[in-house]
Amino acid sequence: MKLNYKMIWHFFGLLFLFNGGFMLIAALVSFICKDGVSVDMALSGLMVLLLGVVTMVATKNHTKELSKKDGYIVVALGWLIMSLSGTLPYLITESIPRFTDAFFETMSGYTTTGASILNDIEAVPKGVLFWRSLTHWIGGMGIIVLAVAILPLLGIGGMQLFAAEAPGPDSDKLHPRITDTAKRLWLIYVGYTAAETLLLNLAGMSFFDAINHSMSTLSTGGFSTKNGSLAHWNGQPLIQYIVIVFMFLAGTNFVLSYYMFKGNFTRIVKDEEFKLYAKFILVFTVIAASVVYYVADIDASSINYPMSWGPGESALRHGLFQVLAIVTTTGFVSADFTMWSPFLVVFFFGLMFLGGSAGSTAGGIKVVRHLVLIKNGFLEFKRALHPNAIIPVRYNNKAIDGNIVFNILGFFILYMLSFIIGALVFSMFNIDYESAIGLSASSLGNVGPALGDFGPVNNYSALPDLAKWWSAFLMLIGRLELFTVLVLLTPFFWKKV
Amino acid sequence: MKIIIAGAGEVGFHLAKLLSYESQEITLIDCDKENLTYASTHLDIRVIKGDATSIATLKEARINTSDLFIGVTSSETINITASVLAKQLGAKQTIARISNSEFITEQAELGFTKFGIDELISPEFLASSEIQLLLEQYAFNDSYEFEDGALTMLSLKLSRNAAFVGKTVKEAAEVFPELHFVPIAIQRYGTQYTIIPRGNTPFLEGDKVIFMTSKGGDEELITLSGKSVGDIKNIMILGGGNIGSKTAKDLCDTKFDVKLIEEDRKVAVDLAETLPNVLVINGDGRNSELLEEENIREMDAFIAVTKSSETNIMSCLMAKSCGVKKTMALVENMDYFKLSHSIGIDSLINKKLLAANSIFRYIRKGDVVAMTKLSNMNAELLEFIVHSKSKICNKYIKDVDFPASAIIGGVIRNGEGIIALGDFKIQSGDRVVVCSLLKTISKVETLFN
Repeated sequence: MKLNYKMIWHFFGLLFLFNGGFMLIAALVSFICKDGVSVDMALSGLMVLLLGVVTMVATKNHTKELSKKDGYIVVALGWLIMSLSGTLPYLITESIPRFTDAFFETMSGYTTTGASILNDIEAVPKGVLFWRSLTHWIGGMGIIVLAVAILPLLGIGGMQLFAAEAPGPDSDKLHPRITDTAKRLWLIYVGYTAAETLLLNLAGMSFFDAINHSMSTLSTGGFSTKNGSLAHWNGQPLIQYIVIVFMFLAGTNFVLSYYMFKGNFTRIVKDEEFKLYAKFILVFTVIAASVVYYVADIDASSINYPMSWGPGESALRHGLFQVLAIVTTTGFVSADFTMWSPFLVVFFFGLMFLGGSAGSTAGGIKVVRHLVLIKNGFLEFKRALHPNAIIPVRYNNKAIDGNIVFNILGFFILYMLSFIIGALVFSMFNIDYESAIGLSASSLGNVGPALGDFGPVNNYSALPDLAKWWSAFLMLIGRLELFTVLVLLTPFFWKKV
Repeated sequence: MKIIIAGAGEVGFHLAKLLSYESQEITLIDCDKENLTYASTHLDIRVIKGDATSIATLKEARINTSDLFIGVTSSETINITASVLAKQLGAKQTIARISNSEFITEQAELGFTKFGIDELISPEFLASSEIQLLLEQYAFNDSYEFEDGALTMLSLKLSRNAAFVGKTVKEAAEVFPELHFVPIAIQRYGTQYTIIPRGNTPFLEGDKVIFMTSKGGDEELITLSGKSVGDIKNIMILGGGNIGSKTAKDLCDTKFDVKLIEEDRKVAVDLAETLPNVLVINGDGRNSELLEEENIREMDAFIAVTKSSETNIMSCLMAKSCGVKKTMALVENMDYFKLSHSIGIDSLINKKLLAANSIFRYIRKGDVVAMTKLSNMNAELLEFIVHSKSKICNKYIKDVDFPASAIIGGVIRNGEGIIALGDFKIQSGDRVVVCSLLKTISKVETLFN
C-alpha cells in the first residue's frame, strides 16, 4: 500500500491552521491583559497560519483516502508537528529562549503531561501562560478523537473495547462518523471547561487563573499559572474541591458523560470500568488520607498547609486531591507527598501506572486494561483446572475476543519495558535511581510531577538537554498508546510486502 | 376428520401411525418415494409424492376439504410456507414444526395465527422441557403431568430394596393404606409387553412400574421405592446444539451448576460467549479421560444430546458406570428407543416422539383432553371429560364394565387430583385419566361418549 503523502501533508496543513488560530486567540488574551507581548504572539500565530495555508494549497490535488498506515503517520507525526509549531510563541516572546526547553514545554503541553521547565511561572507574560494552558486543552481535544474514534480503528492495545460508537476494526478506511462522535464529545469537553471556569471564578479565583486551570484540569494536563500549583489555594478548600470534581470527570470516559447528559444513568452504573475507577479512587483515598492524618510529618514539606476546615478535612482533601491528580495523570500539586512519608512515595509511584479511564483525557495504562488483565489472570486459575474449557474474559457482560486480551497483554508488557528502558536512559545522565524511575513513569504516563529531585515541588529544568528530549519522547509514545508511534519504527511498517 | 401430513420422516410416520389407529382419514405427502412406500405398506393411509409447497400437490391432496394440515418435514421454512399455503387453500387448521425455539418464546409478539399457522411445534423445545421436568423428578424415569400437576404419571424401576417388591398390588395396598398413588401399568424386566395390573398382580424386582400419583404422592413413592434421595446440583451436558444450549441456559437460570461439552471449537466459543454461567468445555464426549478430567464422578446428572444416538447412549453408559445418579440420552433411532429398558440408561428422550405426541394431543382436543403414549410400552394414557350423557356418569367404578386391559388411574375434580378406587362415584364434569392398551382404546372411548 502506497502512503498518501499529499493527503497526510494536507492534514498537517490543517493542523497548522488550527494551531495558528489558537495562537491568535492567545494573542488576543495577551492584548486584553496588556502584558506587552501581544505583537509577538500575533506574529507567531500569523507565521503558523501562513505555513498552514501554503501547505494546504501545495497539496490541494490529493486523493481523499486515508489507509490504516496513513492513519498511524497522521496521528504520530501530527502530534510532533503541533509541538514543533507550538514552540513559536515561547521562542518569539523569549519567555523560553532555548529551543530544547520550548519544545519540551510544548510537548508536555500537547501530551497533557504538565511537566514544566519554567522556574518562575508567575514572571511569564499572561498571554504566554494562556498559550501554555491552551496546548493542554488542544492536546485533550486531540486525545478524545484519538481514543474514541481513531485508536479503535487502528486496533491498538484493546482500544476496540470501549469504542461503543465506533465501527468495528474490520474496515481499513477511517470512518466519516468520527467527526459526529467527536463533535458531541467536544461539546461536553467545552461545556465542562466553561462550567469549571465559572465555578472557580465564583469560588474566588481570578478569571484568568480560573480559565487556565479549567483547561488544564479537563485535559488532565497539570500546568498551573502559579509557582505553587494548586497548593497556592491551600487556604481555600472550596477551590480545591471544585478541581477535585472536575479531575474526576476528566478521568472518566467522556462517552459516559454523554450518557449522563442524555439521562441514561443505568449505562453509567453498569459500566465495569467506571465502577472499578470509582472504587480505586475511593480505596486509595482512604489509604492516603489515613496515612496523611496519622503518620505523615506535615512540617517536613516546604508547602504551607493552613487547615482552615480542621486537620481531618485537610488530610482527606489532600489525600483525595493527590490520588486524583496522580490517577487521572493531571499532576496538579496540593501537597508534597514525597516529603510526608516513605510509604506515600512508593504508593503514589504505583498509582502512576494506573491511569484514568479509557476514552478520557487521562494517560497511563488505563483502568480498563487493568480490569481485563486482572480478570484474565483470575480466570487463568480456572483454565488451569479445566484445560479444555473455553473461558472467555467478560467485560460489560460481553465476552472479549481472545485477540483483544493478547493486545492488552502486549500493551502492558511494552509499557513496562518502555518504563524500564526509560529509567535506564535517565540514569545514564547521572540521575539518581529514585528520580530516574520517577521521571520515566511520570513521562510515560503523562503525569507531571516525578520523584526525588523532580518531585511535586520541583520541576524538570535541572534535566540535561538530552534527557529533556528523552522525556519528551516518552511523553509522546505514552500519550499515543505506544503502538502508534513505535509501529513507525518497525520494519513491517515500511516494507512493501 | 381429514388430516394431511407433509413429511414422511420419523415424526410424520409416527404421527400417521398414532392417528391411523383412530381410523382418521390421513394423507401423507413427501418427496421421497421410499419413505412413502414404507408408510403405505405399513399403515392404512393415502400417500402422495410431491413437494409440500407445491399448490398442485396440495390440491391433489384435496386441501380445501381437509380439517388439519400438519407440516413436519425436516425443514422449518418448508413447514411454515406449506402451512401458510394450506391455510389459504382452505385447510381449517394448520400446525408447523419448527426448530428455532425463538418462534415459540416470542409467539405472542409474532402472531403466527395472523398469517395462518395455528400451532407451532418445536421438537427441540419439547425435548428441553422434558429434560428439565425429568431432572426435577429425577428418581423417576418418565413423568407426565395432567392439569398442571393435579395428577402426575411417574415411571419407576423397582430396585431390590423397594418396600413393595414381592407383594401383590392388593397386599401392598393393605400394608400402605391412605396412599396417594396407584400402579397403572407394569413392564416386566427383559420383556417388551405391558401388563395392566389387577389386585393379584405381584411387583417383582426390576419391574418398570407406571404410577398415577396425586399431590404429595411422588415423595411417598421415593421413600417406598428405596431410592436414595439427594438433590441434583451438578449437571454435565454433552452436545451444544439447539437442545443442549437451551437446556443449559434454562438449567443455570434456575439453580443448577452446568458443564457443557461441545466438540466443535467454533460452536463452543459461541456458547461460552452467550452462556456466561455455564462452563463450556471443548472436547470429545466419548473420550473417557476428558470426562474424568472434568470430574464426571462428582456429577449428579449426565445429559447426552449430541446428534449421534450412539454417542449419546455410549457416553451415558460411561457416565452411569462412573456413578452418575441420573443419565439421559437423546435417541433418534426408534429401534434403540425400544431397548431403553434393558440398556440401563435412566431416561431416553426422543424429540420426534415428543413432537408427535404433542401434535396428537392437539388433534384430540375434544373429549380427550390430553394423552400420551407410555414410552416404549403398548399403552396410552388418556384424559377424558365426563358428560352427563356419558355411559360412565353417576356410576361407581366397580360397577362399570371396564375392559381388563384398561384401568382408571385417577380423577380430577374441581382441579384436585384424586386416586379413584372401586367405591368412587364418577360425576359429570370429572376429568378421568385412563391407562389403556392400544387395542382397547376405542372400547374405552365408547364408555365416555
